[in-house]
Amino acid sequence: MALRAAVLRHLRVPVQFHALARRECQPTPCSGGSLRLFSSHDDHMTKDEVIERVLSVIKCHPKVDPSKVSPDVHFEKDLGLDSLDTVEIVMALEEEFKLEIPDKEADKIDSCNLAIEYVYNHPMAS
Amino acid sequence: MAKLSGLQKQVLSLYRAFLRAARTKSVEDRQQMESIVAAEFRRNAKQIDRKNFIYIEYLLRRGNKQLDQLKSPATVRLSTLDPNPEP
Repeated sequence: MALRAAVLRHLRVPVQFHALARRECQPTPCSGGSLRLFSSHDDHMTKDEVIERVLSVIKCHPKVDPSKVSPDVHFEKDLGLDSLDTVEIVMALEEEFKLEIPDKEADKIDSCNLAIEYVYNHPMAS
Repeated sequence: MAKLSGLQKQVLSLYRAFLRAARTKSVEDRQQMESIVAAEFRRNAKQIDRKNFIYIEYLLRRGNKQLDQLKSPATVRLSTLDPNPEP
């Protein structure tokens, strides 16, 4: 019994310490930083950020030569991709920006520029 | 992209639906499914005459049925048999 009490007393110290430490790490709920997370419009991505992320998705496609990728390339004419590759790229963009692009829109996206415009103008892109 | 025909759009939309269905599976199964599905579409795209509408429509119907099976949560894996293995 005495041993148990001693152990329990000993254990309580680290538990309290952890709880306090965690509270200190989290930002206070009212700070501007965490409130902005709830708004998708006010702190929308900048165009440069969109361009950079779209290009990196395209460069990751196995058939694409990364050195040829620029914001102005056309998937089929400049990168030598076919329509199946284009589907794969558009699906990868969906995942990168957490979007769901309907077939009708996805069929139209055939160049870097169109992809960037679509993502940039999409209110839910993140 | 040159203007897509209605049939091409259906094929691409089926391909997209397969890739979407694969997303719902585990990471490992998903990769395996994606590579099988991609290989199948690409093989048919190469082999089949683009004017062979009847056969393409048949494949679309078959693909849609397979897609329904794949969408079921009970389906976790695809497998293929190669009737003519490379020597």
